[in-house]
Amino acid sequence: MKKLLTFFAAALMAFVSCSKKSNELHIYNWADYMNPAVIEKFEKEYNCKVVINYFDSNEALYAKLKAGATGYDVLFPTSYMSRLMYEQKMIREIDHSKLKNIKNIDMAFVKKGLDPQMRYSVPYMMTFTGIAYNKKKVKNFKPSWSIFERDDLAGRMTLLNDMREVIGAALKYNGYNYNSTNDAELEKAFETVIKWKKNIAKFDVDEAKRGLSSGEFYLIQVYNGDALQLIAENPDLAFATPQEGTALSQDDFVIPVTAKNVELAYKFIDFMLEPENCKANMEFVYYLAPNIAAQKLMSEDFLKDPAVNPPKSILDKSEFLQDLGSNNSKFSALWDKIKSTK
Amino acid sequence: MSAEVLRKRKGEILISIPPILWLVIFFVIPTFLVIAMAFRSADPYGGIGQEWTLDTIKSLGNPDYPVIIWRTIWLSVLSTAVCILASIPAGYYIARLNKKYQDILLLFIIVPFWINFLIRIFAWKVFLHPEGFFKEALVALKIAAPDTLLLYNTGAVLVVIVYSYLPFALLPIYAAAEKFNFHLLEAAYDLGAGRLQAFVRVFLPGIKQGIITAIVVVFIPALGSYVIPDIVGGTQAEMIGNKIAQRTFIDRNLPHASALSTILALAIIIPSAVALTMRFFKEKNSTSLRLR
Repeated sequence: MKKLLTFFAAALMAFVSCSKKSNELHIYNWADYMNPAVIEKFEKEYNCKVVINYFDSNEALYAKLKAGATGYDVLFPTSYMSRLMYEQKMIREIDHSKLKNIKNIDMAFVKKGLDPQMRYSVPYMMTFTGIAYNKKKVKNFKPSWSIFERDDLAGRMTLLNDMREVIGAALKYNGYNYNSTNDAELEKAFETVIKWKKNIAKFDVDEAKRGLSSGEFYLIQVYNGDALQLIAENPDLAFATPQEGTALSQDDFVIPVTAKNVELAYKFIDFMLEPENCKANMEFVYYLAPNIAAQKLMSEDFLKDPAVNPPKSILDKSEFLQDLGSNNSKFSALWDKIKSTK
Repeated sequence: MSAEVLRKRKGEILISIPPILWLVIFFVIPTFLVIAMAFRSADPYGGIGQEWTLDTIKSLGNPDYPVIIWRTIWLSVLSTAVCILASIPAGYYIARLNKKYQDILLLFIIVPFWINFLIRIFAWKVFLHPEGFFKEALVALKIAAPDTLLLYNTGAVLVVIVYSYLPFALLPIYAAAEKFNFHLLEAAYDLGAGRLQAFVRVFLPGIKQGIITAIVVVFIPALGSYVIPDIVGGTQAEMIGNKIAQRTFIDRNLPHASALSTILALAIIIPSAVALTMRFFKEKNSTSLRLR
């Protein structure tokens, strides 16, 4: 329903955008992913209004834009999706001369990613997938994907409703690459997921977080910053990164080809790269921004927290999610099989 | 002669044009577009190809589909049956009440509609929460074990579908019962029918139209359920609606989503078409009988 609604919202947006005022900036972002105080500050400084819409998966964002939704000025896709959108000519190349704060970006980090020269994207936050759990309910917790095999937690665990993350975790558990498209490896991963599926309540993204807070679920597969937001509210919860390795993602600022207010979009991105503002965002979302000037302002505790900045031993075993192009259908077919197998 | 008829009915025709246009533009044409899209090729980037193909239709032979289609059908049939069986006695009872109480009861049925559909479904999540009072009560009464889970199974989906569509079944059945002449039941008793016999042979045929409407308004939306299995269903409760959403938003395959939607549409259109044709011939026969 949420997805359907966003779809209708897209249609409506297309309608409304014709009459849009010139000092409005339309951004399309993940929920709880930017400090509202910073946005307010931007509105005051540039005397404009920021209109925010939300999406809950990269695929939904892509599907909506592909179906013709227009009117957005800044989007926040994960880097594998930014790349696909760039290849599909849906987003603009970035003009570095319009971003004086781009010098703050941690280039060592960017070079490892999918857009090493920032041709079409500017990194916003670095995220990775892990496990959040309730310390009071999960005894003998081990930071491993194998935790989903524990039948004493049956019905009280969730996996993300995301084929890349679930199949990827199972690939990792079996010692393969998160982005593997090898049939034998995928078959192994399938068997693993089926084992896990017997013990989980459902595949879910946003409701799982609320379920963990309310005691409905004891353990969920989740993104690190989301978990830290939950932990801030409930000290019984904890987060761990599986020792087998996990998926690293980088969410980007990108400007769609159809953007109406490109100048303001650049100002917005530049504003968010300012160390003070980037710091305020990091403190709000609990994700690490690859922004050296801003990181200098953060506390040691934040930077050393393995839930924010995973140790090298785990980073070495983890991969960036890649778009699989036509191999995507392999994952879709496997996901279908997973969903319908008992 | 026909020109005269036309002139007489000019008003009717004029009034009918706007809704017909509306339906054609926003319903009939989009439906055909959806059906047409099922025969277009898909590219892996979410685009719709230019060439026509039967590949999508062939891929509906996917061995994973029968499970989901079967689940969608039995959940819809069962929830429709429960709604109708519950609504008939309730409709009968409300229709026999004093008008004043009828209005109060109807108000109770309608009041939940003032609350957003999604919020009502989320309320079920709270109600069936594994640490909620309902669960605790069941455990205290020894009906449920402490580790029984009430949510995320097909049972939960069934309960919430019935909950959501029960008023839609009740209202048309009540409306039919309210118009039903209850003296007919007394006449049936006088002619020797028992209470049950009178109910089944006189009352039920009398509210037939209400029952048919109720079946239609419950079965069709139940068949297309998406939100309910998405929120209260677990790993084994996926329905066709969820599959269509997955094809659209995750797999970037609109032709496939269209093909599934076409199946859903046909599942409704074919039985309706058969029923309408049967009724058409029946009426034709009965008029000809009368003429004779």
